[in-house]
Amino acid sequence: MRAGTLPTDSTQALQKDDRHDGARMARLVRSAGRGLARVWEKTSQAGPVAWFILMLVVVYGSFLPLALFSFNDSIVVAFPLRGFTLRWYSEALADPGLRQALGNSIGVAAAVALATVVEGTLGALAIVRFRYRGRSAVTGLMVAPLVVPWLVTGIAALLFFNYLHVPLGLFTVGIMHVVVIFPFVAFLIASQLTAIGREQEESALDLGATQLEVIIYVLLPQLAPVLGASAILAFNWSFNNFVISYFVSGFQELFPVHIYSMLRHAQNLPVINAISTLISVVQVLLFYLAWRLVRRTGVESGAALLGGRGL
Amino acid sequence: MTAQEELGASRVAPGDGVRLGRTRLTHLPFVLPPVAVLVFFFLGPFLVVVMMSLRYSELYGVTTGFTVSNFVQLFSNPLYRNVAVTTVEMSGLAMVAQLALALPTGYVLAHRLGRWEIPGLLLLVMADELNPLVRIYVWRLILGRDGLINTLLTGLHVVNEPVPWLLYSKFAVVVVLTVGWLPYVTIPVYAAMKAIPKQVIEAAADLYAAKMELWLRIVLPLCAPGIAIAIILVFVPMFSEFATPVLVGSPSSMMLGNSVADLMLEAGDWGTGSALSLLMLCLAAGVSVLAYYLGRLNQSH
Repeated sequence: MRAGTLPTDSTQALQKDDRHDGARMARLVRSAGRGLARVWEKTSQAGPVAWFILMLVVVYGSFLPLALFSFNDSIVVAFPLRGFTLRWYSEALADPGLRQALGNSIGVAAAVALATVVEGTLGALAIVRFRYRGRSAVTGLMVAPLVVPWLVTGIAALLFFNYLHVPLGLFTVGIMHVVVIFPFVAFLIASQLTAIGREQEESALDLGATQLEVIIYVLLPQLAPVLGASAILAFNWSFNNFVISYFVSGFQELFPVHIYSMLRHAQNLPVINAISTLISVVQVLLFYLAWRLVRRTGVESGAALLGGRGL
Repeated sequence: MTAQEELGASRVAPGDGVRLGRTRLTHLPFVLPPVAVLVFFFLGPFLVVVMMSLRYSELYGVTTGFTVSNFVQLFSNPLYRNVAVTTVEMSGLAMVAQLALALPTGYVLAHRLGRWEIPGLLLLVMADELNPLVRIYVWRLILGRDGLINTLLTGLHVVNEPVPWLLYSKFAVVVVLTVGWLPYVTIPVYAAMKAIPKQVIEAAADLYAAKMELWLRIVLPLCAPGIAIAIILVFVPMFSEFATPVLVGSPSSMMLGNSVADLMLEAGDWGTGSALSLLMLCLAAGVSVLAYYLGRLNQSH
């Protein structure tokens, strides 16, 4: 725009000045507009991000007071905070009831993780690698524990064990945890089996491997990361399970059930805060580990990890 | 036996599925263990529940003779009707709140976060790995008399006295249910949003002036299957919640799950408890079927 103006005399110079001002104004307006647009773009980008962060605060925000109070030097769990202490952590780790419950929960969860991965692998192969009559019925049977509320399953199990005169204890808890957790692990492994495809298996079979050899030397190595992640998740889900454990644990203490009974007494709260914070940190680490294992298998199966527990 | 030796013997037509290989492995060793576990320890218990629900029940499962009086009692006793109404009311409110939060969150996660999409998804999902009992309990520290919210409100002189109805109330139960199950609502909604091509949203944004219309006429109908899955995944389990009303609720906010637990463990009335469990199971099935058709109905649009 400026290039077209060639000043020849004073009037023109004056005009030029005018036009120059106008052009400057226009430029100013335009750049202001651009700036606004950029701000608008930024905010319309910031809006969604802010919303998502707000959701994370909604979901996790309640853990901030938990962590704060776990270090708070007062038996009263109330604001304002009094000072820093590690006392509740050492008390929590020294509490014999809590130690017993934690030990039981960890033991059951480890056994459940192992049994779940074995049953889950068999189940996955049963629903995607073989063709036989009644396969859809088998699939349906494996979906059932995922859609029935845990409360109903737990009560049914209580009546069942009572009917058969099986004494309640860690064994009955473990069995029922396997029943509700292994179908989910089976579907997780099945999705990975489908993703692997059959080409390698078929080549191995063509080259003379037996089906058992195919499973051991071709499939299992490729499934290893998913199996590892499944074991971690199954461990965690079993450890976390409250409803079923509550109904079938009998006189045995398990961590969530023990916490549930401890919550009745206010003087237990600081210890509960400490142990809850500690457990939560471990669980976050376990989840990260599981994610590291399945990360390469793609977003879908990674996301599929997540959906199954609370049903 | 090396592979070379067996090569000739193992020739089969490609694509022959299960029959591939020299020795055909039967499916039975793979099918039987899972099926046996489920038949014995999952179907078996339900058989016992059905049986118990149809018998006169003395204390803790001692039964005498057959009857339908357990079901009659459930429908005639106003106590259960009131609890059922409260349960529907609270889980319904929570469901609405969850969808209101999850729809924008699912959209943001699927289309607006860019390279933060997967970390964001994982962060949401990770909530479920934390102990559910702890996740309920922590709300006492937020909503309680000396909790975070009341401390802030009184500190800022918004109120003179701590607000009493934040904890041990229906409000608390709805809040805790909403937040507790939020990831399960968000993930299917996110999956449905992810399936909407970006171009569709952009084209619609170009053609429609109002954002509202874009959401109501394009995004929501395309999300219907995700919403249906969310309802199946979350509504039914919320119905059978049992720890949340005990830990943050009041006597007037007890839900059906609490009634079942009380009948079983406190009253020892296993007949009525079994009947109520079966009703909840039917309800679960009913809601699932309804949600399934809701998802399909909107999809054919």
